[in-house]
Amino acid sequence: MKEKFLKEKALWVRQKVMEMCLAAGAGHIAPAYSWTDIAVALYYGGILRIDPKNRFWEDRDRFILSKGQACASLYAILADLGFFPVEELMSYCQTGSRLGGHSESHVPGVEAFTGSLGHGLSIASGMALAAKIDKKDYFTYVLLGDGELQEGSNWEAAMFAAHHKLDNLIAIVDRNMLQAIDFTEESLGLEPLEEKWKSFGWKVSHVDGHDFKDMIGCFKKLKKAKSEKPSAVIAHTTKGKGVSFMENRSEWHFRIPEGEEIEKAKEELGL
Amino acid sequence: MRESFFKGLEKVMKNDERVVLLTSDTGFSVLDNIRRDYKDRCYNVGIAEQNMIGVAAGLAMNGKIVYVYAIIPFVTMRCWEETRVDVCAQNLNVKLVGVGAGMDYCTLGPTHHAHEDIAVMRALPNMTILSPCDKVSAENFAELSHETAGPVYVRFERYAGVSVYSPYWPLSYFDKGLNIVNVTFKNNPKDVVIISTGRMVTKAIEVSDNLSKYSIGSMVVDLYRIKPLNFERLYEIIENAKTIVTIEEHSIIGGIGSAISEIIAEKGIKCGFRRIGLPDEFCHKYGVREFLHKLNELDVETMTKNILEMLK
Repeated sequence: MKEKFLKEKALWVRQKVMEMCLAAGAGHIAPAYSWTDIAVALYYGGILRIDPKNRFWEDRDRFILSKGQACASLYAILADLGFFPVEELMSYCQTGSRLGGHSESHVPGVEAFTGSLGHGLSIASGMALAAKIDKKDYFTYVLLGDGELQEGSNWEAAMFAAHHKLDNLIAIVDRNMLQAIDFTEESLGLEPLEEKWKSFGWKVSHVDGHDFKDMIGCFKKLKKAKSEKPSAVIAHTTKGKGVSFMENRSEWHFRIPEGEEIEKAKEELGL
Repeated sequence: MRESFFKGLEKVMKNDERVVLLTSDTGFSVLDNIRRDYKDRCYNVGIAEQNMIGVAAGLAMNGKIVYVYAIIPFVTMRCWEETRVDVCAQNLNVKLVGVGAGMDYCTLGPTHHAHEDIAVMRALPNMTILSPCDKVSAENFAELSHETAGPVYVRFERYAGVSVYSPYWPLSYFDKGLNIVNVTFKNNPKDVVIISTGRMVTKAIEVSDNLSKYSIGSMVVDLYRIKPLNFERLYEIIENAKTIVTIEEHSIIGGIGSAISEIIAEKGIKCGFRRIGLPDEFCHKYGVREFLHKLNELDVETMTKNILEMLK
């Protein structure tokens, strides 16, 4: 039942994202689709401890979308959960809207303003440290794009989190192998990525970023298993997942379907 | 000056347990007391300023008031974009504390000089900039920065010169953004209005006293809050000035000279005007501070001479 529910949610999010971006003629669809299933696992799979009715609840888990350009799916989920009206989603990237192309913390449910790459892990580390100082048991999750790991600031943060034993910090890497105009390994290679995290003092897990059972099992295990180390979850994903012709192609990083592509995309998404 | 600031910060940390101090490996000895007494609220985050700002933002988002400390170029320019997005765009309680105004690190060269920091920090929305001129104001500004909501940048020096303020003056003495700290009545004090900031205020007072020997009246304004400027009070002071001179140990581009010239131009004030500051170049010469000042015409004698020539 759960699996079916999560799949339906993920499809709804992808449909919403497509509608929002088509209406606006703007947005990052493929980056949003890449992590949509991860987002659904976190928000609907019993992982994040949050309460839409009490958004500033001190004991809530924190989630930061470091690749802020992929915010369309986050906005769809936050609206669905009741942080703001679902109808507002269709104003995305349009005149006067508070919902723009990068996640902004003035949007209810969004923890941090992101979109400038390489910032999220440091902010998340600060939040995790705050939990330690205040002796709170909340977890901080941060979704990192794989391309943004080329920013050196991430590795400053990686050292920091390990040094301070932030085992309440979980960084999920959306490993779709693509960045804006190239494959990561063609521009500034990240591999061996697992060894990098490990050598920085992190615990590393791998998951299929489109398999709910795999992801939820992993996240639940990480919450229980204390090890004094922060956790990196390398989620293997496909950029543009859900619309066949957008999958794994760099040209769709910032493109919006046009002409026949619109009908084809809608058909595949059941719109 | 830094010792006085951290003496003030010790009191702030004692009275408010939300306050956290991060340093990127700066503050040998001056942070000893804080590091000893507040182990759980003071972290050397390593030589990693970009991360320091992000961590500060994350802490501030969870109710902390975070001070971050480093030598000026590294706490302002190295991590400027993190400050811009993480701190300023979210108007967070992060206080950047920079040591080494102008050419304070006179033997360390341009890497450690700070002559563009006011220009770049002034352009950041929500940012307050405080610039103490002596140890009294430095100590007070620990509390002032704590009381000021949102992002603050405190720019100071390693060592204080002569004191401009009395240690008995309360914090309320620093609520206007500027103070008139010297007036000579030989003629008309508005013959020359000198506006200065930081430790150069003490030099400006010497220049002002020198001018009085030539029967030229002048006043010195300590512009200790560079942003937001108290436009109203500044305008009152400079509207009837015959000559306005700004003195700062910062590039003449983008510092207080630029800020004042904007007011003069927009208000259409008819006056003589001169920006005294560092030229638009890197200083690759080394030596004592006074030598570098002389080289850049920031010594009292040359500044007095240049103002006198201007008045001819």
